Amino acid sequence: MVMEMDKLLLVDDEEAIVRVLSISLKSDGYTVIPAYSGKEGLDQFAKESPPIVLTDLKMPGMSGIELLRKIKELNPDTEVIVITGHGDMDSAIDALRNGASDFINKPVRDEALAIALKRAREKIAIRKQLMAYTTDLEHMCRIATEEVRRKSEFQDKMITSSNDGVVATDENGEIIIFNPGAEEIFGYSRFEVVRKMKLGDLYPAEIAEEFKQGFRRKRDKKGLGWQETDIVGKDGTKVPTRFSGTLLYEEDEVIGSVGFFQDLREIKRLQKELVNSERLAAIGQTVARLAHYIKNILTGLKGGTYIVNIGLDKNDTDKLRTGWNMVQRNVGRISYLVMDLLTYSKEREPEYQDCFPNDIAEDVCELMESRATQNQIDFIRDFDPSAGKVCMDPNAVHRCLLNLVSNAIDACLFDLNLDKKWQVRVKTKQIDNVIKFEVTDNGLGMSDEVKQKLFTAFFSTKGGKGTGLGLLVTQKLIQEHGGKIEVKSEPGKGSTFTMFFPYRKPEKEELH
Amino acid sequence: MAKKILAVDDDPDIIIFVKTVLEENGYIPLIARNGETGMAMVREEKPALVILDILMPKQSGIRMYREMRFDESLKNIPVVILSGIAKRTFLRSQEALTEFGDQSVPEPEAYIEKPVEPEELAEVIKKLVD
Repeated sequence: MVMEMDKLLLVDDEEAIVRVLSISLKSDGYTVIPAYSGKEGLDQFAKESPPIVLTDLKMPGMSGIELLRKIKELNPDTEVIVITGHGDMDSAIDALRNGASDFINKPVRDEALAIALKRAREKIAIRKQLMAYTTDLEHMCRIATEEVRRKSEFQDKMITSSNDGVVATDENGEIIIFNPGAEEIFGYSRFEVVRKMKLGDLYPAEIAEEFKQGFRRKRDKKGLGWQETDIVGKDGTKVPTRFSGTLLYEEDEVIGSVGFFQDLREIKRLQKELVNSERLAAIGQTVARLAHYIKNILTGLKGGTYIVNIGLDKNDTDKLRTGWNMVQRNVGRISYLVMDLLTYSKEREPEYQDCFPNDIAEDVCELMESRATQNQIDFIRDFDPSAGKVCMDPNAVHRCLLNLVSNAIDACLFDLNLDKKWQVRVKTKQIDNVIKFEVTDNGLGMSDEVKQKLFTAFFSTKGGKGTGLGLLVTQKLIQEHGGKIEVKSEPGKGSTFTMFFPYRKPEKEELH
Repeated sequence: MAKKILAVDDDPDIIIFVKTVLEENGYIPLIARNGETGMAMVREEKPALVILDILMPKQSGIRMYREMRFDESLKNIPVVILSGIAKRTFLRSQEALTEFGDQSVPEPEAYIEKPVEPEELAEVIKKLVD
């Protein structure tokens, strides 16, 4: 196959020269296209487009210079070597001016021709390589540009479509990025912010300050971790957000900052809703338990009035008395319930007065003893004989101790182990600055689950027979008195409740 | 001859009330304050009907009811549950015990949730014993 580069157009009006040169060129490996006038040369050039043209200058009709110009017009990369008459320097210069790449003198010597052709071929080769490089470079450049554009577009889309508000500034704190997420949170459109506002106009003061200090410092790698902060929106409302941000560096120089804001409005609203619904559920439960307890009292009241009516009808004083007692007893239960509810729901200051802890304990024991012994429960008093006069709220302590003793008896009554010899022990002790009341039973005991709910409002293991307020009220009274309550319990073995009250000196010292 | 009816409840008010209703309607009331004595009295006295509370110290009404139903000589004595606890809670506890491998028990003949009107109680008793 003929290499394109080896094609050569040879133009001369002297046939003999064409023939001789052709032989010499062919032996050097060229494919020679012969032409015998400028006109023919141009036609052949158009047809064959050879990379190298060898032409005589002096020809009748179209001259060599004219052919040279036309060829250069058609393809400026063509290497045109002109053949000049001996000593015709002017023509040679004219030809070079018109784009000829070289000239050789007549008579054409083989060495001169070979050198000119070699140079021409080298130039073509270099040009080709240059072209290849250029094309390659352009291609690479296009790929790189495309890649950069895609990456930047991707990042742009990422910032735009982020649910978080993204706010970026330059090193002067001027805002340059403000995405739709940020528009949503702050209420400004990006046209109002970008290049118009500074960091300090949007950010909460303390964060803005920290960033501003960062701008002045050298690299300090730490960003600001997630934190909850309120921002002030365009309309002046506070918007709760979660914020994280950092300064941006190039080498060690600050080039800007970026902040991410998460809108917490919806989360806060849901949290509030949850708290509300929990509160409503708690109220619902409370009401149900209360209703249950009141139902029991109502049963007693109804029974009482029924018996009173029978007593009236039959003029039976015994029935009348029985019924009336029932009514009174249940009225009493209601007032206790109401008092418990009030104690539970209100702040109350203890009413301090001089009293004897053992007297309070004795009073409670007298009230509860008959209920215990009726149910075959041993009732044991274990009072500290050294306990003297103190200053405390005897009514509050009485209420607390009564609750604990009543619970202890219930714990024995509800115990399913009927072989046990039940016991309730009431102990008092005065040590240093503490007055201790302890109630121990060997009844039912409590599981960990029950223990955990012990001081929860309206929690009761006694079905409708407890208000679920007793221990709660007890705890509240003790706490208001500056004391504390401790519980130890084991299922099947029993429980111990201990109340600790701080010692207060009696107001009137008595001589013993 | 007047029929004996046993009331089992730990609440003294309920006892007095039920006792009065029974007396007023011509029955002989028997009283037990917990499931344990209640069971003993059922065996000894074979009452015509038992009025039973559920939440009681010592043996609960749930247990006593099952014990009666498992006893050939007592299982036909009609039982009226009189309780502050809802009927479906009672039935669910019975189901739970059955699931734990016990035999299943039939529903009680009557179930009354407290508070109850004396007339209603009398009527239920009358329907079951007469």
